Amino acid sequence: MSLAIPQGLDNTVERPGERAPLVLGDSTYHTITESVSQIAERPPSAAWLIGFLISATLASWFGICIAYLIYTGVGVWGNMNPVFWGWPIVNFVFWVGIGHAGTLISAILYLFRQDWRTSINRAAEAMTIFAVICAGTFPGIHVGRAWLAFWLAPYPSLNLWMWPQFRSPLLWDVFAVSTYGTVSLLFWYMGMIPDLATFRDRSRNKWRRMAYGILALGWSGSSRHWMRYEKAYALLAALAAPLVLSVHTIVSFDFAVSQVPGWHTTIFPPYFVAGAIFSGFAMVLTLMIPARSIFSLEKLITVRHLENMCKIILATGTIVGLAYGTEFFIAWYGQVAEEKFAFINRALGPYWWAYWTMITCNVISPQLFWIKANRTIPWRIVVISIFVNIGMWFERFVIVITSLSRDYLPSAWGYFRPTWVDWSMLVGSFGLFFTLFLLFCRFMPVINMAEVKATLAGQLHHHHGDH
Amino acid sequence: MTDKQDKKLHGTYAEFDAVDTLLAACARVRDAGYTKTDAFTPFPVHGIDKALGIKPTRLPWIALICGATGTCIAVAMQVWMNTINYPYIISGKPFFSMPAFIPVSFELTILLASFGAFFGMLVLNGLPKFSNPIFTDPRFDRATDDKFFLYIDAADDRYDRAGVTKFLEELGGGYTQDVYDDDSSTSSPKAIWVVLGSVIFLSMIPLLLVARMRVTTSSQPRFHVFFDMDFSPAKDAQMTSSLFADGRAMRTDVPGTVAIGQFDEDLDFYTGIDFDALTRREPVRAAHLVRAIADEESDDAETAATDESIETADEPTDAAAEPEAAEPEVTGAPEVEDDTPWLEKNPLPITMAVLERGRMQFDIYCATCHGNNGRGAGLVHRRAQRILAGAWVQPSSLHQDTLYADVYPDGKMFSTISNGIRKMAGYSSQINARDRWAVVAYVRALQASQNATLDDLPVDKRDEIRKLQAEVKQRLEEQAEAERLKAEQAAAEKAEAEAEAEAEAANGEAQAAESSD
Repeated sequence: MSLAIPQGLDNTVERPGERAPLVLGDSTYHTITESVSQIAERPPSAAWLIGFLISATLASWFGICIAYLIYTGVGVWGNMNPVFWGWPIVNFVFWVGIGHAGTLISAILYLFRQDWRTSINRAAEAMTIFAVICAGTFPGIHVGRAWLAFWLAPYPSLNLWMWPQFRSPLLWDVFAVSTYGTVSLLFWYMGMIPDLATFRDRSRNKWRRMAYGILALGWSGSSRHWMRYEKAYALLAALAAPLVLSVHTIVSFDFAVSQVPGWHTTIFPPYFVAGAIFSGFAMVLTLMIPARSIFSLEKLITVRHLENMCKIILATGTIVGLAYGTEFFIAWYGQVAEEKFAFINRALGPYWWAYWTMITCNVISPQLFWIKANRTIPWRIVVISIFVNIGMWFERFVIVITSLSRDYLPSAWGYFRPTWVDWSMLVGSFGLFFTLFLLFCRFMPVINMAEVKATLAGQLHHHHGDH
Repeated sequence: MTDKQDKKLHGTYAEFDAVDTLLAACARVRDAGYTKTDAFTPFPVHGIDKALGIKPTRLPWIALICGATGTCIAVAMQVWMNTINYPYIISGKPFFSMPAFIPVSFELTILLASFGAFFGMLVLNGLPKFSNPIFTDPRFDRATDDKFFLYIDAADDRYDRAGVTKFLEELGGGYTQDVYDDDSSTSSPKAIWVVLGSVIFLSMIPLLLVARMRVTTSSQPRFHVFFDMDFSPAKDAQMTSSLFADGRAMRTDVPGTVAIGQFDEDLDFYTGIDFDALTRREPVRAAHLVRAIADEESDDAETAATDESIETADEPTDAAAEPEAAEPEVTGAPEVEDDTPWLEKNPLPITMAVLERGRMQFDIYCATCHGNNGRGAGLVHRRAQRILAGAWVQPSSLHQDTLYADVYPDGKMFSTISNGIRKMAGYSSQINARDRWAVVAYVRALQASQNATLDDLPVDKRDEIRKLQAEVKQRLEEQAEAERLKAEQAAAEKAEAEAEAEAEAANGEAQAAESSD
């Protein structure tokens, strides 16, 4: 029994036959509750306040830009013949991609019984929801008359006398992204119910207790409830896993089903999904490493978690690099003149700078994770993951802009130039994302306490069994 | 304790510190025969279902049924909307295109199955349930932190308050407590209702406004969302503008300039009319024409008053609008005396280059109806004859006496090409004036060619034609000879076959006769 959890264990060493513990230090059930709850109970730190102030300002600016756009019309963007998809769609695909890691970590790693996910899944799921909110904003305002975006829904309209067009990938996209947003929200919220009950039961303030009480829906921790809850959670995980893969597949159909050179390829679905996981994990790392140090969660989000995520980034980044190569090969092998031109144009055309930024950030930078030091020193991970985020934004830029600006008809070629509204909206969407994330960190259980406790129980049981 | 006795007793629970002791206690309670029991833990405890004897849930079936419903709804919805109720062709896909319906069916399956799993879990668990007597004791708050509680319900057949308390203490429960009805206030704070009420009230206002607008009519649009789309800042003809000193929105040409393609000061060249003669004879009509042409220029419109004033002298203005059947093609019959002084001579110098140019333009614009040889049997005519049959009137042949230069001057033909006649449209917007004159020249050449003899040709060309003629004649003869030979051969073969058949028949008869012997 004395062998509980060794103090100061170097959990980065993966000894054969022995797994590094997922919860460090002399943690007990109560210390887990304490370390997570204190984030929401203490007054906000200066770092949080400054971060919130900046991101809330940017988010407000995003709102103002949207109002300006709706009031004036989509001409305030740089979208112009022949590039009508412009930055809004680049940003949409970027954010949807970011939103993939959360549910992937939650669902797929849950199904594979990867217990290490427990201390990161909550924040990753929250990130998913906020990224999907950012993503959903862009097509919503890109339709031109944002107040008529509800026409996308199949409702019996007395004004239109018509139905949506279900043979178009753009409508599949509406269903895929909204289903993904809804199911991710359910999954996230359901995972939080027991932890919200913990917050409720720790609240000494009447209003606070009432607010968390409503959110916790009266959760009591009854074993019968837990049994059904776990079953429902497993079901949601099983349902969400194929859903994650379907969403970016369908997003890629927006491109692949069209006939634009550089888009019309069958490699898009797997390539988009790999890219989404790649960018999603990079965003999780970009957010979790600072949050971990600001909220002192090093004992719960251990270096092993970070290293595992780095390995996933390395794997998916290599898949993405392979996909870039395959695209070029098929463009040559297929011998379609426009297709060949589209790819040469990407690398050597007027947007060569975007293409080579993408290659540097997406193909070369994740390869640095082969070196162990880069996977275990947090600041290095942050730097590399930020590069990956930049690279993945540029990947969508390259796909959308280069293909549209030079397709079949040379007389219709053009060069896309973003306006200040495009820039503001890109930066503003980050503001919205960080605002929501910081609010989440402040008021919601950042870490799935119940699951971490269950992992700790398993760990105690295991050590107990050794003797 | 006195007031507690008035209230309903729900059960008794005991607190445990560790999973192991809880699981052992659960097993003991189950073995002791208690069935209405429960445990409250901060996390799902592995093995407690068995220890407490909890039966598996039917939640997966609910999720399955919901998922299947989602699939059915999605398929039915898409088939109804895109195949039955509102079918239209898009990207050449069939109305019932199942592969295209898969993504949405998949998404709705997942969505409804997830709803089934989540809401099914809530309903089966009886949540949300905000008031629960077990929460009365503040110590129970640790059920979501680090303590484990084992509960025996008062409804259990074996329940007896004192005995159960003692039993739980024996099992290692450090702290036991009875659960009575919650006596805290049942009313919610007023502030909640005030806030909720005002939010609902305020959110109703826009909805009511929208509803009112939907059931009433208005002579004006309710909103101008894009003001400059509803009220274009671009000016229409005859409008005023504050941008210019003269207040006119329409601008005149900059003095001393001519717009591209507008340099048509030579009226004769652009109308085909001899204006000197016209002015001498009918000055009013000439002045009227000149003014009309000037107006047309400023409007940039090609077919304006000019055409009409010219046509009035030539043909009924509305001829083109009349039904074709009522307007038989009688180009020749001079129904109105045409006294317009048309230019008799093509103003272009007739050179080979001009004729080639004319031929090119003719073949592009005229030949589709009039035919390459000008006999009025172009592709349009041939197809129209097939599909319109009786209602179609053949385009004029250009080889009629009435269209020859002696009765139909070059200027008049130019005007006809420019402004059209009967169902023929004017070509002034497609063919420029110089090319129209070239077409006139080519038509004259065409007319000459169709009635020419060998003597009309230059001497040096005659031999060439003779040679061609001889070649064609020889080829025709060869063809005729070949056909004749073929026919002869066929006849010979036929005769032979008949002879053979006869011989066979005779043979057969002979054999029959032999066998019968």
